[in-house]
Amino acid sequence: MMEGLKNMLVMIELELRRLRHDRTEIYTRAVQPILWIVIYGSVMSSVKAIPTGGVPYTDFITPGVMIQTTTFVSIFYGLTIVWERESGILKKLLVTPASRYSMVIGRSMASGVRAIFQALIIFPIAVLIGVKFVPNPAYFILAFTVIFFASGGFAAISILVASFMKTRERFMGIGQAITMPLFFASNALYPIKMMPPILREFSTFNPLSYVVDAVRGLLITGDLSNLLMDLLAIAIFDAALFILASISFRRIIE
Amino acid sequence: MDFAVQVKNLVKVYDGKVRALNGVDLNVNPGEAFALLGPNGAGKTTLIRILTTQLKPTAGEAYVFGLNVIHDGGKVRKLVSYVPQEMSVWTDISGYENLLIYAKIFGVPKLEREKVIDEALENMGLTHVKNDLVKTYSGGMIRRLEIACAMLIKPKIMFLDEPTIGLDPAARKVVWERLNVFKKEYGVTIFFNTHYMDEADLYADEIAIINQGKIVTRGKSEELKHSLGGEIIEFTLEKTAHKPDLVQNIQKLNFVKGVFEDGNLSVLVGDAESTLPDLMNFLKSEGASVEKVSIIKPTLDDVFLKYVGTQFEEKGRVSDVRHMRDMIRKG
Repeated sequence: MMEGLKNMLVMIELELRRLRHDRTEIYTRAVQPILWIVIYGSVMSSVKAIPTGGVPYTDFITPGVMIQTTTFVSIFYGLTIVWERESGILKKLLVTPASRYSMVIGRSMASGVRAIFQALIIFPIAVLIGVKFVPNPAYFILAFTVIFFASGGFAAISILVASFMKTRERFMGIGQAITMPLFFASNALYPIKMMPPILREFSTFNPLSYVVDAVRGLLITGDLSNLLMDLLAIAIFDAALFILASISFRRIIE
Repeated sequence: MDFAVQVKNLVKVYDGKVRALNGVDLNVNPGEAFALLGPNGAGKTTLIRILTTQLKPTAGEAYVFGLNVIHDGGKVRKLVSYVPQEMSVWTDISGYENLLIYAKIFGVPKLEREKVIDEALENMGLTHVKNDLVKTYSGGMIRRLEIACAMLIKPKIMFLDEPTIGLDPAARKVVWERLNVFKKEYGVTIFFNTHYMDEADLYADEIAIINQGKIVTRGKSEELKHSLGGEIIEFTLEKTAHKPDLVQNIQKLNFVKGVFEDGNLSVLVGDAESTLPDLMNFLKSEGASVEKVSIIKPTLDDVFLKYVGTQFEEKGRVSDVRHMRDMIRKG
């Protein structure tokens, strides 16, 4: 157990070292969410067509857009895994004494670290265009903890997918096919109650909705009535995917 | 005492079709450098991947220091280090950082870490570039970094899949000298695949040749060469008269295995050095005077060609070819 935890920290350290050498991806990936908030957000808020429970529309979508970006980062983390499979890195890692599950969870949480940086970079821009955050550091820290763990779960999805889709091209396709429905069938851009009934059903099983709900409550509305339920949903999501990804990880090099 | 590697009737069939290993039997003694030679697609990499617990065999058994690679995989992984054929380091961090990450994964204690890493870098001649990003390294430097990774722990056995691919002859020599020292100092068994015959000849204590998923022969390099039947002494004779039945007379000598004349006189013997003086004396007594002598000894290439044949491999995996080309290009 201790050894597993240690290996996870090593994987996180690896990710931090990579980030230290090259942060370009963080910057380029920040362009899209900034456009969502700055352009889409301000246009839609002037329409006032979406009931947001009293908060300005830009404020409403800021957590959603943050989570969308971090989810994308995590889902496409699998590309790194596919690359490591094509090179010999995964083979070598799997011949070390480190356990499979510590590799999977470690790599997933490493992607969580990347996600935190990705979310942080959007933060000052949002403040600049006037998004009002709940002025509570504890809420802020908790929100980013939620992002960290949720991203870990999404990265585990990507590892799971990577163990089936062993080439980059296939992975790119399936990555898009996963992220876009997750995003649009969630409460990131509009409240769930606005959705058609079928989509609403789907949204109940969409982990992204719970993450957005928790982060929106913590950062924007200060409404924590659903928080416990959200955290529970995220915990179940993480646990389930860590297990599934660990089981399938071995087939990745076969 | 347990063998370092013991393989019994190992079979591996990929996807129910491709028979990569077809009943391999093999024992490797601890502390030896063992070379596995074979054409592309012969099953060399598959065997290494089974021994390093990456793949499950279809049938048969394999042990590393007495541990079953299927049932005791976790224990096996504590004893081995492995360099895959493909590139296996992160290119977006420095060489030092790569070693640091692996040292941590291998559980090298904190106090020893720096020393162990410095030693590995020094051994592979990478100290001066240790803080550079690996993507700025040449192919040869990357290969040396990978071998340095495998030297971080003092494994009981190293599995090296084409360890010197992409290295120039000078780097190959240095790498092997370091590996040899490492082997002697820590009693490490080295199990490697290679395409370079001279490498197996020079550095392997024992050699096995694998073809179409089966071990076709094994032994020490000298034994394998001797098994080809002997060495050839080639005489260029002066054009003066010698007895007409010279060839028949040489044939009668008891240490001569065969003679033929095609302008030069070629004599097949068991051991060229010890029989040469007698032959020279005999030729003199027959009235022949020798202008030039050369000794042709069988090489490991000849051994390889005898057991594997000269045909091209029938099919390989495209990915193998790509990796090979990549490695060579980077070198």
